[in-house]
Order: sequence, then C-alpha cells, then structure tokens
Amino acid sequence: MVKLEDVADTLLSQPSNSAHTVQTRPASTYKPLSTYKLDKGRSYQQQYGDMYFLRLTKIRPAVEEVAEAEWSGTVVAGEEAKRVDRVLDVKQGELCWVVGTIFMAMPLKPDILEDVSKDRWISAPVVPEKYFSNPEENEIMLEDDSGRIRLAGDLLKTVDLVTGCIIAVMGTENTNGDLEIVDIQLPNLPPQPERWKLTKPVKKDEDEEMADSSQGAGSKIAIVSGLSFSASDASHGLELNLLLEYLLGEALGPQGQSDVSQISRLIIAGDSIDAAQADEQPEKKGAKKYGYDASAYNALPSQLFDEFLSELLPTIPVTLMPGAQDPANASYPQQPIHAAMFPTARAYAQVPGSKEPGWFDTTTNPWEAEVDGWRMLGTGGQNVDDVFKYVESDDRLSMMEAMCRWRCVAPTAPDTLWSYPFQDDDPFVIKTCPHLYFVGNQPEFGTRVIHGPDDQSVRLITVPSFAQSKEIVIVDTETLDVSTVQIVAR
Amino acid sequence: MLQITYRLLSRALNVHVNTAKEMLYEYHKYQNAQKANSIHATYLVYGVKNREASQEDGDVDMASSMPDQDETPDVVHTNTLTLVREEDLTETLAAYESVSSLYVYSLAPHPQRDLAMLSDIAKSLAEYTIKEQDVSVAAKKFGTILNPHARRRDRAARPKVAASAQAKPPKPAPSATKAPAAPVEDKVKAEPKPTGKLKREGSAPSSKESTPAPGPKPAALKRGGSGGIMQSFAKAASQPKKPQVQPKEEEHTALSDDGEADDDDIAAEKPLKESASARTSRKEREERLRQMMEEDDDDDAADAEKDEHEDGNADDEEMEDAPAPEAEAAEEPKNGEPSEVVSSTGDGRRRGKRKVMKKKRILDDQGYMVTIQEPGWESFSEDEAPAPAKKAKPAPTPTSSAPAKSKKPTGKGGAQGSLMSFFSKK
Repeated sequence: MVKLEDVADTLLSQPSNSAHTVQTRPASTYKPLSTYKLDKGRSYQQQYGDMYFLRLTKIRPAVEEVAEAEWSGTVVAGEEAKRVDRVLDVKQGELCWVVGTIFMAMPLKPDILEDVSKDRWISAPVVPEKYFSNPEENEIMLEDDSGRIRLAGDLLKTVDLVTGCIIAVMGTENTNGDLEIVDIQLPNLPPQPERWKLTKPVKKDEDEEMADSSQGAGSKIAIVSGLSFSASDASHGLELNLLLEYLLGEALGPQGQSDVSQISRLIIAGDSIDAAQADEQPEKKGAKKYGYDASAYNALPSQLFDEFLSELLPTIPVTLMPGAQDPANASYPQQPIHAAMFPTARAYAQVPGSKEPGWFDTTTNPWEAEVDGWRMLGTGGQNVDDVFKYVESDDRLSMMEAMCRWRCVAPTAPDTLWSYPFQDDDPFVIKTCPHLYFVGNQPEFGTRVIHGPDDQSVRLITVPSFAQSKEIVIVDTETLDVSTVQIVAR
Repeated sequence: MLQITYRLLSRALNVHVNTAKEMLYEYHKYQNAQKANSIHATYLVYGVKNREASQEDGDVDMASSMPDQDETPDVVHTNTLTLVREEDLTETLAAYESVSSLYVYSLAPHPQRDLAMLSDIAKSLAEYTIKEQDVSVAAKKFGTILNPHARRRDRAARPKVAASAQAKPPKPAPSATKAPAAPVEDKVKAEPKPTGKLKREGSAPSSKESTPAPGPKPAALKRGGSGGIMQSFAKAASQPKKPQVQPKEEEHTALSDDGEADDDDIAAEKPLKESASARTSRKEREERLRQMMEEDDDDDAADAEKDEHEDGNADDEEMEDAPAPEAEAAEEPKNGEPSEVVSSTGDGRRRGKRKVMKKKRILDDQGYMVTIQEPGWESFSEDEAPAPAKKAKPAPTPTSSAPAKSKKPTGKGGAQGSLMSFFSKK
C-alpha cells in the first residue's frame, strides 16, 4: 500500500542540475555450443527409425546402471528379479526387468500408418489440443529393436510417460501377454559439469567492480519469449515500447536504471514474429497472380523486430532463438534465423566463418551454451508443448523435469514433434546436465529447482509469452535466482 | 494524438532522459497551477506489488498443485512496471507494496483515453535514432546504458555486403545534411495531422509562460528557446512538414507510391545520387526556409537534425491522405524553377511567364477518369523574392487534388514510372 503523497515528494522532482552517471553493463561471458547445429547440405532421405535406435543405445547404459543399483537382488513374492536384455525375451510369469523405449498409442494422436492406410494425403494433419483423452484407451508399449510389449499396471496411471522416453520397467508378463509392472526407473539427470567448464570468468575491471559492489549481486540475464511483432495486432505495442525503454535503461529512476544496467544479456526464446496474417485481403478481381505472390508477403513484423533489435544491440548483446512462429525451419532442431532477416541488426551479427559468436547471436532451438559459466539449455517451447499433449496434467515444470530425468530434450520427436531425421547421433539426448533449463512461450511463468542423485541441481524456468503475459524473466548469474518484471499499461 | 513522452522530449532537446522526466513534471505542475486540468499526465510506476494483488504469479498455484515436490518453489520477486493515467495513479499506487520509481511518462492536453496512442509517439522517435558512432555519446547525453563490450561486424572485411548495408547508417559523419539515418517508414505516420494543432497548442502555453515566467527557471528549460516545453516539442513535431518545400526527384515519387518494400532501395541510392552541387543548393533552400519560418537560432542544432530526416519523411508523406496539397507543393517549385521567363523586373516586382505543370482530368476512351499533367505557361507577377510566392501557390485546389493524387503516378506515363510502381496494387 503506497500513497501518492508518500512517494511524490521523493520521486517526483524538478529538474536538477546534478550530473547523470553513465551506466555501463558488465560483460557477458558467452560460449554457445553447436549441439543442435545441422549441416548446411543435409539430406532428408533417411528413415526416422535410426533416431530411436540411437537414443536407446545412448541412454540404455545410464538406465541400466540406475535399475541395476535399484533392483538387483530385489525379491518380490519369493522371486528374484532378473535382468532381460531384449523386450522379446520377457517370459510369461517370470519377474524381470527390461529397458526400452516407450511408445504411446492414443486415439487422438496422429498416426502416420493410419494416414497411409486410409489414403489421407491431401489435407494437412489436424492437430488436436491434447492427444490425451481417456487413460483407458491409451496403450503404453515398451519397445526396442527386437519388438514391443504392452505395459499394464496401476503404476502407469501415476507416472506420466510420452513416446520416445527411455525407461526401465520391472514386472511380470501376465496371461494377456502384457507386462504387469511393479516399478519404473528413469535414467535420471546426466552428469553436470562444474561452473566455468568451458569459459573463464572475466577479470572484472574497476568500474564494473564498483557497479557490482553497489548491487551486491552478480549480473543478470533477461529472458523473454513471444514478442510477437505483428503487422495487424498492435495490442501489446505499448508494452513492447516499455520493454525497450526498460532494457535500454531509460525508463525508471536512477536507482532502477543502475539495476537494469546489470542485465548483461538478453535471450529471446522464440516467437518474436507473429506469422499470423489476420488481415487476409479479400481476393481482388483481375489481380490474379500465379505462383508465389510477393505482394502478399508482409515485411512489417520483421521490420519492427529489426528496429527493436537494432535499438537494443548497441547496449546489450542478444541471443535469438527461433520459435514455432519464426521464419526458420519448422522441424526440430530449428536452425538460426538468417541474419538477412535483420538488415540493420545484422551489423552486430557473427562474421561468417569466424569462431567468435556474434554480439547478436541467432542460434538454434533447442540451444545449449555456457553463459557466465553456467551451462544453459533453452528451447522455444515446442518440445514442452508437445509433451503437454500426451499427459493429463498441465504442470509444465514437471514436464521439463521429466525431460531432464529422461535425458531427452525432445522425446516426442520424431513421432509427433517434427524433427530432422538424424542418422549418426541423436542430439536430443542430454549428455551434460544444464544448470539452467528454460522453455519459452509457455502460458505462464514458473520456476523450480530440481536435484539429481549426484548433487546436480537444475533451475527450471517456463518463460511466458510476452504478448500474453507482458512479463520478462531476470536470472541472476551468480545465484541463478529468478525474478520477473511485469509490464502493465492501462 | 497530441502528446509528448519523456523520451521524445529528451531527444528533441538533447537532454538526459531523467532531466526530461523532471522537466515534464515541472511543466505539468506549473501549467496546472496556472490553469487546472489543462495538462494531463501519465505516470510510470515501478516497484513491488502487494502479493495478493498480483494474481499472475505462477508460483502461487504451483505450490498447491505440486505437494509431492521435494523442492518448494521459491518466492519469486516480481517488479511491476505500470503505465497509468493521472486519474488512476492513486489507485494504482495503492496496489503497490513499495515503489522505487515514479515519474511522468507523458503529457497531453487532454485526458489519456487510449494509452496505445503512446506507442505511436515512440515511432516518431526513430527520427532521432542514434547513429552507431555516437552510441557512447548517446549514453552520456540521453542516459542509455552504455555497453563497452559491444562489437559490430567488421564491414571492411566484406565490402560487398557493406555497401548495401551501409544504406542505413550514413557513411560520412561530417556532412550532417546528407542522407537520412535509417529512414524507417511509418515513423511519421501520425505526425502530419497533428502539426497544425500542435502549433496552436504550443504557442498558447508558451506565451503564457513567457510573461509570468517563474523566477528560478531551470537552466535546461532555456534550451527550448523562448517557449515552453510544448512549444519546443511543437517544433520538433512540425518538422515533418518541412519536406513539403523540398523539391523531389520524380523517381522517388513513383517509388514511394508503391509502399513499404522498397524504402531500403531509396535510402541506398540517395547518397550516391546526390551530387555535391545538389546538396549545396539544398542547403540554400533550407536557409531560405529557415528565415521564412523565423526560427530561433537556438534551434539550429535541432534543425540540422531535422534536415537529416527530411528525405525519409518525404517518402512517407505521400502515403498519407492529409498532406496531399503538400505533395503538390513539392512539385511546383521543381517545375517552376528552371523555366521562368521574366519579362520585367521594374518597381520591385517581377513579371513574366513560367512553366507550370497543370493537372487536367479527362475521360479516356474506356470511360475511366484519368488525370494527366500538362506543361503549360502561366503568367505571374510577384515580389522580388520568389520563394515565398511560390509556396503560397498550391493552396487553391487542395480538395480536387486529393482524389487525383492516387492516380498521379500512372497518369504521368510509363516513361518515369519505375518497375515497382508497375507492380504496385492498383
């Protein structure tokens, strides 16, 4: 409860002649990793099956280790659990445990085999809100390269599983041929590197130190997603302006400005451009065009975004990830938005062929990097959105946690999440545990810290879409503490 | 429509944003003391809201939905930045637990009904876009946070790309009157209309202010010349008007008509095309113009800046319907200047004939109404100084020219229309 009289005297004042201090930003130590970069001359001829095989081979040892430790010597009803190497080797009535890939058969889930058999080629696939409808109708199967077996048991109702995650199950095959499971083990968090594994902290020079001491905390990273620059919908235009002013350090008073100056990097986690063309022009008579109609392309959203970036870039480095709406390839991993989209901002982009990351870094989605010593993993949100469709709950942080524990950043690719057909490596397998895992374009902000068995701790953040929530997330680079800034205009 | 934000004020007067905020506050207080409710403000409030008041904190319901979680979600600190009308300020503040910053965001002579209007103002800001060389200068001047680590791509390494990309940042810094810095279109969209009103509005308070001027007038305020803040802003806002007397090359008219896409090209071409002589002649014209407008010397700096943006504005202007007569005005001097036959210059008056382009509307063989331009001679008699007389001219037929305007480029014949105008939507 603040009264106008209380603050007006101290905060509203007449022009003073006092000199204004120039705020400077601390440096941002930054090393993006090329985990999700695809070869430019990539081929799309391959089959997707290899991805599951690769994933299983990569994650299997980890799950087996966990399961071995947990289950070896376990005796249920006088019977010791035996390890079975292949799904097909599961014998009826024998207690055993086995590792495999989950496959979910759900009535609403798009099924390529069904599409082929019913000869549905023409229309675009209908994507339902959720694949999850009635848990009774779902079939959960465990498969490996030998075959698959249906899972059964009440345990399945309590654990959320999606296609593509690799788990170990213990149980007995019943008379129906289903595996009645009694326990489940996940690979759990991968090993986590130390802070400053790949980069070295910058030696702070004096004025930075001064700024730091006045703050008492480290520099900050701002994460925003869903800026949705749009040609037709200007409903959040004012908030975008306020965001710009905030980040430039022109809004707020001197104290607030020095707080803002601690933000050393802006990460844009997808959906910067609103692709939806709401104002479809009515068909004009006589203006028939064949082929690509260049006049139908509206460059305004990307121009606005370019302006936004080019105003920000002189004062703050920007990492730009593509999202579902952005002009990048649609399939995971999305490749960087080309710098040519940003005629003014690209002056800060990476010099082609140079090793040094650009001041304005357009990156892949998902994206892995070491920023200020912390290993970061971020996505534009498609992976979580797709997992969300499989499960009943809408707790997105738990889905993120599950992905970390499955060691897979996009388990549902390539089944329901479009993906590049990888041949030699499945980059979606999380090899090193991030310190910070954020996902953009989520319905609301949320954060949580999860811990692993080997003292790993991961800060999970769901970054809300700015167009909807008008919120940005600020992460402290020393403590990984999270705060938000809400922008309201009314 | 008629508003000023602290950012615009800061750019227009070259003062630090924090000073600009204070100036707005000062002016608001002073003006409303003179006459209550003559100026309305919006405020920007920054601070921490009361917990219960802020529902959108995602962590609240998360705690309840996830009881099995070993990790209790930590309380997330949320700062809220609220832009609020004067009338709602008390109410908004009541929802705050603590406020760390509160200042005037914008002023307007009428109550703010739609705050979204303010985002249009931000667009006019682009006229003041910082050129990359003076980023550090801007940091000192306006209070933008400086980043000493910023690095740009080395353009010299890739000359080809550089050439095209340089279209935006003007290469030679010294010649201030040269190309516009990144004339991003739409910037001025809202501008042309309010100008007239602005001036009226601006002069009213200023006259008031100058007479009973408050004793301790802040030093920074003086920069705005004799007038108050609103007046100086009025000047800043009226700059888009200037290009109307700018002779334009035909090609640009044609190009601009076709819309947004090719703005880039125009900017790219200009610096190359404009020869040194063209520039100097333009300077002369601007000089004349300046005298005409009887501007204060203090504003010269601002003028120089305005000049830089003229070309960019000029292109946009024509897309608006309001400045239709101005567009004509722009053409008039171009056609008039070179071809004048002065028959007598006695007794301080000049008489003679001059060539003018006359509009003629005819029905063509398909029954469409077509406006064509025909060169014709017109006799004149005027005072020695030719420029003002010419400027007065375009007034007669503003209404009739408005509908004709859209057809103009087509009517002018294919010779001068560019390729782009061919593809433009008819």
